[in-house]
Amino acid sequence: MKKITILLIGLVSVLFSCEEVIDVELQDGPVRLVIEASLDWEKGTVGNDQIIKLRTSTPYFDTQTDTSVTGASVEVINLDTNEVFVFQDQNNGNYTTDAFVPILNNTYQLTVIYNGEVYQGTETLLLAPDINTINQSIEDGFDDENLEVNVYFDDPEDEENYYLLKYYEEGDLLSSLEDVSDEFVNGNEIHDFYEKEDDEDSGEEAFVPGDVVEITLYAISERYYNYIKILNEQTDSGDPFSTTPVQIRGNCVNQTNQNNYAFGYFRVTQYVKEVYTFE
Amino acid sequence: MKHGFLIYFFLSSFIATAQERFSISGAIKDLNNGETLLGATVYLEGTTYGTVTNEYGFFSLTAPKGNYTLIVSYVGYETITQQVVLDKDQTLHFELNEASTALNEVVIVAQESEVTSIREPQMSVAKLNAQTIKEMPAVLGEVDVIKSIQMLPGVTNNGEGSAGFHVRGGAADQNLVLLDEAIIYNTSHFFGFFSVFNADAIKNIKLYKGDIPAKYGGRVSSVLDVRQKDGNSKKFSLSGGIGLISSRLAAESPLFNEKGSFLVAGRASYAHLFMPAIENLKDDKISFYDLNLKTNYQLNQNNRLYLSGYFGRDVFNLSKVIKNNYGNATGNLRWNHVFNDRLFSNLSLIYSKYDYRIILDFVELDWIADIKNYNVKYDLGYYVNNNLKVDLGVSGIYYNLNPGEVKPTSETSGINYLKLDEKRAFEGALYISAEHQLTDKLALNYGLRYSNFSRLGGQNLATYVDNKPVVYNNQLEIYERGDVESETHYGKGETIKNYGYLEPRIGLSYQMNESSSIKASYTRSTQYLHLLSNTSSVTPLDVWTPSGEYIKPQISDQFAIGYYKQLKDNAYTLELETYYKQIDNRIDYIDGSSLIGNNNIETEILNGEARAYGVEVLIRKNRGTFTGWLAYTLSKSEQRTLGGNAGGPGINGGSWYNTPYDRTHDISLTGVYKLNEKWSLSSNFIFQTGRPVTYPNGQYEYEGLSIASYGDRNSNRLPAYHRLDVSAIYKPNKHPERRWKSEWVFGIYNVYNRQNAASISFGQNESTGLNEATQISIFGIIPSVTYNFKF
Repeated sequence: MKKITILLIGLVSVLFSCEEVIDVELQDGPVRLVIEASLDWEKGTVGNDQIIKLRTSTPYFDTQTDTSVTGASVEVINLDTNEVFVFQDQNNGNYTTDAFVPILNNTYQLTVIYNGEVYQGTETLLLAPDINTINQSIEDGFDDENLEVNVYFDDPEDEENYYLLKYYEEGDLLSSLEDVSDEFVNGNEIHDFYEKEDDEDSGEEAFVPGDVVEITLYAISERYYNYIKILNEQTDSGDPFSTTPVQIRGNCVNQTNQNNYAFGYFRVTQYVKEVYTFE
Repeated sequence: MKHGFLIYFFLSSFIATAQERFSISGAIKDLNNGETLLGATVYLEGTTYGTVTNEYGFFSLTAPKGNYTLIVSYVGYETITQQVVLDKDQTLHFELNEASTALNEVVIVAQESEVTSIREPQMSVAKLNAQTIKEMPAVLGEVDVIKSIQMLPGVTNNGEGSAGFHVRGGAADQNLVLLDEAIIYNTSHFFGFFSVFNADAIKNIKLYKGDIPAKYGGRVSSVLDVRQKDGNSKKFSLSGGIGLISSRLAAESPLFNEKGSFLVAGRASYAHLFMPAIENLKDDKISFYDLNLKTNYQLNQNNRLYLSGYFGRDVFNLSKVIKNNYGNATGNLRWNHVFNDRLFSNLSLIYSKYDYRIILDFVELDWIADIKNYNVKYDLGYYVNNNLKVDLGVSGIYYNLNPGEVKPTSETSGINYLKLDEKRAFEGALYISAEHQLTDKLALNYGLRYSNFSRLGGQNLATYVDNKPVVYNNQLEIYERGDVESETHYGKGETIKNYGYLEPRIGLSYQMNESSSIKASYTRSTQYLHLLSNTSSVTPLDVWTPSGEYIKPQISDQFAIGYYKQLKDNAYTLELETYYKQIDNRIDYIDGSSLIGNNNIETEILNGEARAYGVEVLIRKNRGTFTGWLAYTLSKSEQRTLGGNAGGPGINGGSWYNTPYDRTHDISLTGVYKLNEKWSLSSNFIFQTGRPVTYPNGQYEYEGLSIASYGDRNSNRLPAYHRLDVSAIYKPNKHPERRWKSEWVFGIYNVYNRQNAASISFGQNESTGLNEATQISIFGIIPSVTYNFKF
């Protein structure tokens, strides 16, 4: 639905509206631990090397604070095999291992101990589909004058499936995330596309031949889909057609003091990745 | 005991009729075009016997035998004075001539005569006639009924470009909007920029903000009753206008030797005709049109038939990507029957439909949804005597809701065909109410409505594990969708769920002296249909859903008291009202709720409650070359949604939070100054506390992106909204004797070009990566010119 929202806003702005960047005074909420524990396993590789990032939250407009969290204890256990993977503190907010063993449909549990409080989350590793085709077009997409890249993959019919697609153009600062569920397309070949447009305000530029875009397709759990969907809806939220923004709650629960919950998510995924160069 | 009182009231008024009394009844019309006049005053000079005409221009007045001077008056018209000898029941029809000022353009806001307006127990009602609405400055010169009622106390909108309106802190879907008795489900064109009511086809509007008469039901916040013109029954006339956005044309004419008349009015935007010429917009199409029809035929003195209809459509195509159209269609066939000079009846057969269709080319999807209803209504008005008028009636509405049908648009589309369950329901109602003048000073309005709602079968209904469609996850502290345990099929003849409620409505007025009165009222009302919308603005895609097993009816209790004062022989009036409203079963949505294409809406919502209270002040200047009003509202509107059956604390931690329609201060000033015969000037000024919104209270990095964290719901506010509009109406009027009359309306909307925030969004700049707040404002200063003619 985000796409429809974009179009509705597009319509309104075509008509009359005026956009300007303004200063807003904001209140500061409590500083929280941020757990970015994304154990992502590229299909066809061993997936031993993994990083978990620990940071803190900051005031919304803050750019100065060093947010890296050091001195925490981080480990992941495979609840099916009871194998434990200890992540080493790199003293820059990153905690790493080179011994992780991903096994499909196994359930993993993360434990982070920080400032005497224990945070835990669990997640199951799901099979990622292969990408059937990647191609480009102009006529399709939102704007029939801008290039877009199309991605096709097969959705299995027997269960509900959820996907995360990440598009990243080489040289860009930010990547773009798409949450996809098979709700309306169960059992079919799923089509997703990524198109950019020229926008002076945001500095975005439409694709031109020679541009390289990295496409990553993750198989994700339903709960993570719900998480990333809210996250996606809320990046650039606040327009008249968007939903009321809410606190996004991940799956890392503070077992010691539930009120002092952490941001971020513990996900374990399999993914496929392709690089596409526009012609 | 309660019943004892009622019986006493009835008896006392019958006893009072023991002396010999007779009635005068009849209809009051405009001499020039035969339009019936609503709210015209009929009274016997030097007595307290008086009444006002009803919505069909009908009146009935009873007084003791004797000789009287009968006075018939209506604002903006010449008064008729006639001697009557009241020695038998009699029928008298009157036709009033427009006041002799050259063009009848002095706007006089107060419509009712001195005596009735403060005497009538009815309170919390606001009336505007089409002429007043037309004189107010309007955005892009498009005269707008919905925007004009927002100038009244207690009525706000959700910002420019948002559909609907909010009454006393209520949601847009809590307003019952009727066009000639037919329900209008979406009141806007262009996603809320303009309203669906073409002022050329409208006779008048009445907005009940509280103290809702027992004959209305089905919504908990307000009733907006819009009546179309009947059409000129004296001569053919043509009127129209050319504006920046749309053009209008209306034709009216008598039919069958003035036994009937008709009105056909059309309005269409034409901006899309120029769009192909603009490079950026050449593949786009944005347009709307609507058509109003009304015709009536007088079978004989006591029987009259009316047929009215409305059809409106919005089309909006954005290149080939998105094709969207939506609109309302209504029809109403009515039979007015006068049994005798005291008993009046009306039978209506009403149809109403709202549908939308959206075709998304990029996902090859075609989506259709609609809501239809069929309504039969029978109302009786009985003028028992001069002190007691009784209304009673019965109504049945059958609803058919099709929340969505999704079709693939091509062979290659990845979309599967999907049809969400059609929903059916029947809403029945019975009511009786009385307007009762107890003493010279004390009048009462009391009524009782019984409404019954049956959610009918013909669909499957999911049952959930532990009977919980929404489950609180204690660990993660989030609400999640419940698991479906089984599905039960209900046949078309079966009832899934039935609700029935008694809705008492009581109003009282006490006239303190010639020029002031106090009133108090209590209204209970029930709402069985709900508009699902988790966005801050209502959009045409929002889905109506009926109450049933999981979604309960909304029930509101509103208390209001008011003080009314006329100053300087009614040149000025002051109205002061305060209200408290409590609504049970107001739904809100769990975090991350997904409403579109969802067959099991109950997994996305929690039942909560809402409350609103406030003070409204209205000061009007009713006469003279300068007329207008100042409205001020101080109010609070909030809601709370506890976890209930789902467990957990609820939304926003179970605390009360502001509704999006909460406005602490709301000031509206509107004025019309008649410079001379040719020129009149008008102006609006609006100041409103900003809309409650939720701002970030922190950020963190995730996936290389800056993610905002949020605090309490709706605890921040957009900057205050204010603007000033002016307009000037010029009537050349060189040849007053000619039938052709024209006027130019020059307007400037938002004179000082205030950039009012429609929204403030927070996000990351794509090139710098820094967080920034971006304000979207919609209408800056907008000049406009409109040409209107009448023939």
